[in-house]
Amino acid sequence: MAKSSFINKIFNAGPLILLYYLCISEVDSNLEKIFEIFTLNFQIILIYFWVLKRPDIMANGHIFFAGLINDVVMGFPLGISSLSYLIVIFVGTYVRNKSVNTTIASDWFTFFLAMIFSNILFFSLLNNFSDLSFTYSKIGYNMFFTLFMFPIFWLLFNIYQMTFIGNRDA
Amino acid sequence: MSVSRDDFSIAFRSALLQRGGAQKFSVLSLIFLALIIFFLDVYGIKFTKPVRSFLNDVVYRVTFLASTPTRFFPQVGKDISSFFNVKEENERLKLELEKYKSLELNVEFLTDENKNLQKILETEYFNKNLSNIILAKVLVDKNSPFLKSIIINKGTRAGILKGMPVTKDNYLVGRVVETNYLSSRVLLLNDLNSRIPVTLNEGAQAILTGSGTNKPVLEYLPEDYEIVEDTNIFASGKDGIFTSGTPIGVTNTDGTVDLFIDPNQLSFVTVNLNVQYKGKL
Repeated sequence: MAKSSFINKIFNAGPLILLYYLCISEVDSNLEKIFEIFTLNFQIILIYFWVLKRPDIMANGHIFFAGLINDVVMGFPLGISSLSYLIVIFVGTYVRNKSVNTTIASDWFTFFLAMIFSNILFFSLLNNFSDLSFTYSKIGYNMFFTLFMFPIFWLLFNIYQMTFIGNRDA
Repeated sequence: MSVSRDDFSIAFRSALLQRGGAQKFSVLSLIFLALIIFFLDVYGIKFTKPVRSFLNDVVYRVTFLASTPTRFFPQVGKDISSFFNVKEENERLKLELEKYKSLELNVEFLTDENKNLQKILETEYFNKNLSNIILAKVLVDKNSPFLKSIIINKGTRAGILKGMPVTKDNYLVGRVVETNYLSSRVLLLNDLNSRIPVTLNEGAQAILTGSGTNKPVLEYLPEDYEIVEDTNIFASGKDGIFTSGTPIGVTNTDGTVDLFIDPNQLSFVTVNLNVQYKGKL
């Protein structure tokens, strides 16, 4: 019994561990080396899905902390990724509070809004308060592929949720 | 109408202030905290610099450890394939050795000639203090779509300062843009923020601009200049950062440059402690 509870805890912590690992390790959440224009913001897909479906396993404090780590590793001003992740949490929580039953299509649309708000904040802060420059085409590709890949990850995360965590709503 | 507005404000407030269960902090409080940290970091208040530097050192070390499996498995694959290609490689290396032996004589002659010419011009011989070049290991090479940089395991303790040029096998790789006590961040030549004055084989001057892809672009070439493929590009040294004559890459006809060193394949680099740019980087 105790063993199965421990395994459940590990499965519940899976998305959070993945988020921390993506932020701290060298693992690329974009496949630029393989396909030049393919870049993907996997972290916000991960955050949005789990905040929407099971906020109890994706605590705000952890996401904030993961954002800080991401900033250090990527060389961005501290707090900027945390802010963009928090915007995603805010939209996700708002949608969760307002909706009773969600579908992949409704989640996809609301994810688009969350990504837009989050990226507007991220790039406007980066543009105004740091010396880093970026091309709008890169941002465009990044947003397009992130949006495009959302349903695929939505299905994968759903399978993970149903198989290892259970369908209990928080 | 008023009911829907109430619904909106309730859901909005709840999303910002909701706590309880696993949520120990509300989104609003964390947004304020993130903003405070952001502005403290951006405006570089005195005490934030050492804190950020300490944080960087710690996180880079943890990142290096966390990335070990991702580095280990591709390396094992490479080692196995190279084991089976030893004979072929041996023959190839013998041929290369012969080629380099013949080239060495030419180099010796050109070096002497170069020294003599520099004496005549009364300029400084740029390679006279090789002891001030240190070897550093690449700790983190995270590929970001917006920032092309690497983290090396030497920092201010080893004498590294902002602006110092970084090379590999004498080919230019980038420059130091952030220093911590035990680590530094190197901005690679292909980063969007990278601008380097270069000179082409025939003496034409240009600026090598990072494009965010693996191939930086030549800008501000002389008017009506026609780019010939496979022209060598060297740092011109006009910015006072890079040693003049450091090889960088070869041109393509479309104005892009193939770098001699693949920025995605760096494991060890050297930092030239003799040079430091004094201006804003």
